[in-house]
Amino acid sequence: MKNYYFSTKKMCVGYDNKLLIKDMEIKLREGEILCLIGPNGAGKSTVLKSIAGQLGLLGGTVYLGEDDLSEMKAEELAKRMSVVFTEKVRVELKSCRDMVATGRYPYTGWFGILSEEDELIVDEVMELTHITDLSEKDFDKISDGQKQRVMLARAICQEPEIVVLDEPTSYLDIKYKLEFLLLLQEMREKRGLTVIMSLHELELAKIVSDKILCLKGEYVERYGTPEEIFESDFIELLFDMNEKDFIGNERLHAYMKQIGKYER
Amino acid sequence: MRKNRKNRNITVFFLLGVCVFIFFILNICIGSVRIALPDVARIFSGQESNETVTRILWDIRFPRATAVLILGGALSLAGYLLQTFFNNPIAGPFVLGISSGAKMVVALVMVFLMGRGIRVTSASMIFAAFIGAMLSMGFVLLMSHRIHNMSMLVVSGVMIGYICSAVTELVVTFADDADIVNLHNWSRGSFSGMTWESVKVMTVVVAATFLAVFLMSKPLGAYQLGDAYARNVGVNLQLLRVCIVIFSSILSACIVAFAGPISFVGIAVPQLVKKLLNTTEPILMIPACFVGGSAFCLFCDLLAKTILAPTELSISTVTAIFGAPVVLWIIKGRKA
Repeated sequence: MKNYYFSTKKMCVGYDNKLLIKDMEIKLREGEILCLIGPNGAGKSTVLKSIAGQLGLLGGTVYLGEDDLSEMKAEELAKRMSVVFTEKVRVELKSCRDMVATGRYPYTGWFGILSEEDELIVDEVMELTHITDLSEKDFDKISDGQKQRVMLARAICQEPEIVVLDEPTSYLDIKYKLEFLLLLQEMREKRGLTVIMSLHELELAKIVSDKILCLKGEYVERYGTPEEIFESDFIELLFDMNEKDFIGNERLHAYMKQIGKYER
Repeated sequence: MRKNRKNRNITVFFLLGVCVFIFFILNICIGSVRIALPDVARIFSGQESNETVTRILWDIRFPRATAVLILGGALSLAGYLLQTFFNNPIAGPFVLGISSGAKMVVALVMVFLMGRGIRVTSASMIFAAFIGAMLSMGFVLLMSHRIHNMSMLVVSGVMIGYICSAVTELVVTFADDADIVNLHNWSRGSFSGMTWESVKVMTVVVAATFLAVFLMSKPLGAYQLGDAYARNVGVNLQLLRVCIVIFSSILSACIVAFAGPISFVGIAVPQLVKKLLNTTEPILMIPACFVGGSAFCLFCDLLAKTILAPTELSISTVTAIFGAPVVLWIIKGRKA
């Protein structure tokens, strides 16, 4: 376990006692970014929820450093790990700033009243994530992309050592996608933030991640660096695609060939 | 902006407090015998010699107004808890059938005990009502596991309410004459006939529950973000849920035991208070709902006593007139 900030040992995940993926072994150093890729329904969200302690494990252990996650106190875990999930959050009469401030929950006292310092951190994070202009907007009335950015800011406001993000870029336009990736790089450099996330955009996964985990079927299909994953025709295999199906459509064919290649 | 918010909160609490004070005084002064304000002051300072007026004030008006203040607040708070729990703006102890469940068990216990000539104490009434409230709540929870549609959940709550009311009617029909009169008055909801003894019991129960709920305001706030985020920030969801269910049932039970089922206060008041404060933050909403509920019920009880005096309206008649439009307004204002 030494030297790894995050690791799993024989982790088995699934729903309602139905096993989905078996014997997962993940090892991440502090500040590394792990991307989960795989076809729809492969269990990416299930894995992320299990890692975050939202779903009970069906076997195995998750470690943060040396600590067994299942034995950690909820308040302790809250200070070390934050999450952004895909479920829509419905709140009433809450400004975006209020939303971001909910990330301070583990640090406030019995009544949850923010200290001066907490307020400063909230402002700082909003600046860092470029959402200061949304500050007084009603969270219920902004777009899905804006909500996603607010929820990300909220997760960072929790000052975690590791974030678990489920498709954090799905509603973002290209500018914010890149801004988001830039932010992740910044956070890992400044704070040593470790990131585990699922991504649909393979191109992004290719450039941003240190490790990639491919999910398909009962076992982890493949786990390694982007170089190892994006070689030969593995992506085609993973997503059940065949380059030949696209012969005849020049552009799609060219695109298909390019996805599978790794270049930095 | 932050300062504006603070000023707004102070103003709202101040206004609600003033409303409670004014309606409380009016409730004491107005009735079949009108007591002038100076007389009230004199009675309080012990200078008034008119025995009848003093008795009316001390034994009837004052305990009644105090009970309305406490139970009104409790009712509104129970509504707020249920709305937060189900994330549903029209949830409340009455629509979810919780009041009716409490009423049913209390009716059963009353008929059974009175038939044997045993006196029913306030504590045992609350306990019976609590059992009934938990019974209905259990059904609603079972339903909520299967139904995730908010209107359907409310419909099933209303159905549970009907079943319980039907059982209550049945019991009343088979009971002795004397009990029927007693039961019938109470089962329609009324604040009349409050004694200091009852006021003491309800004060203890409601104050303790209010305090416990207020201490939960931080996790309640996180709960509003949904299960996943609440769990992530370290909330013990299971414990919180059990607490909300138990506390809202105690509050509902207390109201039913002393005043019978009262409609619409639980839905309307938290919604109005929320709009006034422009927030759903539990730490503000919990006390504001309580004070708002007190003011609303004092106002409604005043009307119930005076509109058709000397006949007294059932309190639910009045609360429905003012509360039902609020529910319609909420439904109209919702996006989907």
